[in-house]
Amino acid sequence: MKQYSGAILLLAVMLVFPLAVQDAYYQHLMILVLLWVAIGSGWNLISGYAGQVLFGAAAFFGVGAYTAALLSHKLGISAWWGLPLGAVITFALALPFGWVCFRLRGPYFALATLALNEIFRHIATIWESLTEGMVGILVMQTFVSKVPYYYIALGIAVASVLTVEIVVRSRWGYYFVSIREDQDAAESLGIDTLRYKSVALCLSSCMIGLAGALYTNYMGFIDPRVVFSLHDVSIAAILVGIIGGVGTVSGPAVGAFIMVAVMEIFRSGGFGFLGKLSSATGSPFVATLTKYISEAHVLSFGLLVIFVILYLPNGVVGDWPILKKKLLFWRRQATV
Amino acid sequence: MKRFAFLVGVVLAVGVSLAGTALAAEGPIKVGIVLPLTGEQAQFGEIERNSFQMAVEEINKAGGVNGRTIELLIEDDTGKPDVGRSAVEKLISRDQVPVLTGGYSSSVAYAICAVAQQRQVPFVVTTGSADKITEQGWDYVFRLCQPVSEYPKALNSFLGEVVKPKTVAILYENTLFGQSGAKDFAKECEEAGMKVLLKEGYEHGAIDFKPLLIKVKAAKPDFLYMISYVMDAALLMRQSKELDLSPKLFVGGGAGFTLPEFAKNAGEAAENVFTAALWSELVPYPGAKAYYEKYVEKFKTPTEYHGAEAYASMYVVADALKRAKELTPKGIREALVTTDMMTAFGPVKFIAYGKKKQQNSLPTYLMQWQKGVLETVWPKNVATKPYVYPTPAWTK
Repeated sequence: MKQYSGAILLLAVMLVFPLAVQDAYYQHLMILVLLWVAIGSGWNLISGYAGQVLFGAAAFFGVGAYTAALLSHKLGISAWWGLPLGAVITFALALPFGWVCFRLRGPYFALATLALNEIFRHIATIWESLTEGMVGILVMQTFVSKVPYYYIALGIAVASVLTVEIVVRSRWGYYFVSIREDQDAAESLGIDTLRYKSVALCLSSCMIGLAGALYTNYMGFIDPRVVFSLHDVSIAAILVGIIGGVGTVSGPAVGAFIMVAVMEIFRSGGFGFLGKLSSATGSPFVATLTKYISEAHVLSFGLLVIFVILYLPNGVVGDWPILKKKLLFWRRQATV
Repeated sequence: MKRFAFLVGVVLAVGVSLAGTALAAEGPIKVGIVLPLTGEQAQFGEIERNSFQMAVEEINKAGGVNGRTIELLIEDDTGKPDVGRSAVEKLISRDQVPVLTGGYSSSVAYAICAVAQQRQVPFVVTTGSADKITEQGWDYVFRLCQPVSEYPKALNSFLGEVVKPKTVAILYENTLFGQSGAKDFAKECEEAGMKVLLKEGYEHGAIDFKPLLIKVKAAKPDFLYMISYVMDAALLMRQSKELDLSPKLFVGGGAGFTLPEFAKNAGEAAENVFTAALWSELVPYPGAKAYYEKYVEKFKTPTEYHGAEAYASMYVVADALKRAKELTPKGIREALVTTDMMTAFGPVKFIAYGKKKQQNSLPTYLMQWQKGVLETVWPKNVATKPYVYPTPAWTK
């Protein structure tokens, strides 16, 4: 029980968060974090545990998102049905895709997922009669308040993390890791590698698809460039995994938090602090600095990734003992 | 006595500081603006930001809004709808702005509109031009610029009266702006009895257009219509020249074709290209030319219709703030409904027509690049130069 006390405490904090923080802006940011927790966990299961690098998370994200959007746009059914149905449809997509593409290994599989991503983006762009193409689909939001979205996102994020936790502790988890470490050896031990890789992919795709369907419901607007984005979804999913820690249960949660925080702090210039500073001092130097810093938000994340790969190759969670030692060392030096 | 003096001092200090805060509550009126300051559309975002700031400086210098100054809170949307949404959430809930403007790309503007409507904060759309934005029946959304389906209005009358083409080929970038513009234009051409020989989209940011252009050449259309941003536009024209593709005329659907960078990058290949346009500094509106000259003097770079839209938006918002009975989102919305004024971008009045609501209705223009200058050539009554048609072949 003791090992879960931290997680339970965190969950309790998350549960009361929207009641304690009424500011819709922070609630919005937390919803983004929770969304990324689900996507990151999905990526982590197939890539971190089963070792099959997924470069096309956006394919599943977008299919989930479009399922929800099309339900309301074409059939007039509430987009919320997109949550269960989006998971089912991404599952139905992942199964045949895995069956075909798990014949490929390593980078070749990664490239196949990249292709899947691009194929779906093009379909969504060109098939205008179904998807409205780049015009996008608008879904009116159900709630004005952020709180219902927050709790739904929290539910999905917690379910994703729990799924990963349960799966990696089960027999499946050991199969996944053995496939990651040495596929041929796993095969020779009698593990049906194709089957278990498919299991991992299907579970992952469901989590990512759910996040996509929630995105549609929450954002109220999708187009192919947004939800099938290679850069903003597929690669961001990998970065969340890498920063948090590949092959750790809580890694994606930490990674998601760091990513959203870093992006937003830079975009808003330290939540407007730098802007105030520059107008208060009136110095053109600070103003220019502010401008460059807020324009560097993409760069900042790239630098963070480089730093993590160089010094914390197992991510913030995976290398937590090292990080803790370093931090303690600094503190000790500071007191001396 | 000393003690008494100290006490008086303290009371005075407290009193002054309290008065100070009371004054602060009466401080500047905040106006929230969302623009793409980084990312692919940053170039346009910057022109708009400069124009907004220029306008607000003028307004504040002229006495502000009933004695209060306007403070702009400009947020970067990076060209992405979800980021735009974060930005507008911040503006509404943290900064509590009573009115919003800006909105460059259609998809970002769309996402912002949904939030603005839901939170009941009026939003004056500056540039986002997808038709749907004002077709949702949203009563907190106003649009200053023309919707994309109306961009080629002047072009259509030119085609009908002068060129009378029979066939057309359409190339467009695969974005909301390109795809919806191409669709509407194809429909209009067919209604006018023209045959659309080819209608193809390309990836935004593509480099090699020759396969597409060879197809166009084989189809031999009377004219070629292109909806592109600036780099694609320049490359399309340069490669057309290389391939010696000579339809009767080349027409750009606004956006990239109107920018000074287009002429710079395309070089000679830009010569005689027509483009639909919403504005140029030569349009017959008071303040248009002055705005252009002031901008060039201040920022040392030319400006174009996006900047004029931003500049005009600021004046429209300031006008509404002046007339609003109370400075609440609701009060400002009511003032915006009755807007009826002249700006550097043209007359502004938010009316309902067709499926649209609270949409400003403005004429559009046809322009042509002549010796590196974008001249207005149609409608005739505002033309600065006669049009060059038929376009001479490249080889001449």
